[in-house]
Amino acid sequence: MIQVQHELDVRPILRAGGEPFTVIMDAVKKLGSGQALRLLATFEPIPLYGVLAKKGFAHAAREIGDGDWEVVFTPTAALASPQKAQPVGSTGGSAASPGWPEPSCHLDNRDLEPPEPLVRTLAAVEELRPGEVLSALLCREPVFLLPKLNERGHEWRGGFEADGKTYRLVVRKGAGKEAAA
Amino acid sequence: MIGASLSKWTMSYFGVALLALLGAELLMVVGFGFPSQPVAAPQTLVLVHLVAIGWLSLLLSGALIQFVPVLVAKPLSHPDLPAVALGLLVAGLAALMAGFLGMAGFHLDSTLWLPLGAIGLIAGFTLIIWNLGRTIWSAWPINLPAWFVVAGLASLVGVVVLGTIFSLVLSGLTSNAALLRLTAEGIPLHAALGLGGWLTFTAMGVSYRLLAMFMLSPEAEHRTSRVALVAGVGAIAVIAIGGPVCLLVFGQAVSHPLLAALVLGIVGLGLYGYDIVRLYRNRKRRNIELNALMAAWALAVLGLAGLLLLILTAVGEIDRFAGAVMFLFAFGWLTGLGLAKLYKIVAFLTWLECYGGLLGKRPTPRVQDLVNEPRAMPWFRIYFASVGIAAIAAFLTAPLAFRIAAFGMLVATIGICVQLASIRMLRSVPTPLLHGEKHPRPRLLLPSLQSRR
Repeated sequence: MIQVQHELDVRPILRAGGEPFTVIMDAVKKLGSGQALRLLATFEPIPLYGVLAKKGFAHAAREIGDGDWEVVFTPTAALASPQKAQPVGSTGGSAASPGWPEPSCHLDNRDLEPPEPLVRTLAAVEELRPGEVLSALLCREPVFLLPKLNERGHEWRGGFEADGKTYRLVVRKGAGKEAAA
Repeated sequence: MIGASLSKWTMSYFGVALLALLGAELLMVVGFGFPSQPVAAPQTLVLVHLVAIGWLSLLLSGALIQFVPVLVAKPLSHPDLPAVALGLLVAGLAALMAGFLGMAGFHLDSTLWLPLGAIGLIAGFTLIIWNLGRTIWSAWPINLPAWFVVAGLASLVGVVVLGTIFSLVLSGLTSNAALLRLTAEGIPLHAALGLGGWLTFTAMGVSYRLLAMFMLSPEAEHRTSRVALVAGVGAIAVIAIGGPVCLLVFGQAVSHPLLAALVLGIVGLGLYGYDIVRLYRNRKRRNIELNALMAAWALAVLGLAGLLLLILTAVGEIDRFAGAVMFLFAFGWLTGLGLAKLYKIVAFLTWLECYGGLLGKRPTPRVQDLVNEPRAMPWFRIYFASVGIAAIAAFLTAPLAFRIAAFGMLVATIGICVQLASIRMLRSVPTPLLHGEKHPRPRLLLPSLQSRR
């Protein structure tokens, strides 16, 4: 279960010409177990992704206007037990959830015309055994697919990757009993 | 909740809208309204409002209640409110047309038809704006295409307010000097806000997303699109605020704000055209479907109509040819785009309605299995060719040639309607995929009776 995010805004430091790296690393050290860090910066802090990935953090970045960026660093261990139908949306973790089994199926649906991504993802989910996981890459938020997954009683997490163009969706097949569809 | 589901009432909107289009084309065939009669004749007002409200506004509203949720990835705030809005809009439009027929000398007893029509239309459009506005608000901050829709809805408010003022003045309910002046000189503002701000600008915003989606083009937000938005919003503001201020505060004619809006509008259209050409060029799907090809024809007419508007204004001949240019905008661009996109949207929504629950569980047809493009294509060709001939006839003020061309448009539209109905009835789906008694059959225009999540 993900705890309340810790928020760190380093924009004032950056605008004053300062170097926020140590402040960020201090904040990371002080995070509680499983706690995520929401970082606000004046540019996309790409070098930080590698550094924090080694410390076990997945990232999800988005531009929030005026050239500013919001990046949520989520400890990958915290993605272990997602709530059913609690999508993390555009701030979602971009890594598969380790608490779930490794995805037994990977789909790259980015170059398919609509509604092929919807068709292929649902077909692949139906092939899974309950509890198994698949991951899929898409080129946009799958607005018609997500309610279908909920209807069929599957769990999912999804969000845009740092590039803002690839949407990564991870689905765990439900127990087989469909929600009233 | 994240995501969008099927809009229940979109097909009903489309059905009523197509009926209005057929009705309007029939009126043109029998020589009712422009160009057989003057642009300002009450008969022309009947025709114009049947097209602008009955056909185009209902088509766009029906599309928006489905696609605003897709644009912002949130469900529609009030899924059943569009049914009430549709009833109010149809009643309002009927009363409005009765009012215009009264002005044309038909004996329709009451002088209150126009304000009654305004009340129905205000109520209906308010429900649409409220519903879409709340949906967009729930997804704040919004993306660029959604901003176009917001600006289009703001224009719609302006159109309805001006239309209401006109109805009060024309029915003699008010003799306020300012409102009289607005009615006498504000009609170009009403028309520009309606055709330009509400119908064109909203269609532009939605097409950014729909064309990219169906042609698999990258959807990055470009600076050109942002400038197009700013220019368009500027044009809308100049017309909606600058026009009345110019008229009522400074006592000037509305030509200056209209000219400023035209320049801004052309800049916006130019950048939009540039973006759309880029979308077509960068598409990953090489084979172009009927809807994208026909949309390209409609876009070409938009470019032509914009150019004609600019040239005719520059040489001071716009008053003489305004009707013909408006005809090109309404039938070449908006109707052409509308019919082309209907062909895709109806197939996609029907497919999702019938097979959404079955996907992955048993073999299902593809969306393209629901359509028969070789059969539909000739009707679209006849439609566009007829619009071209009718436009030339309108420019040359040749009413008989126009009526013959309008007959071509009517026949083509009937052909396209038959194709749309056969999509709804799953006529093209291969028989092996139709097995079993439990096969879902959608209703033509109404939501299916089973409750849908």
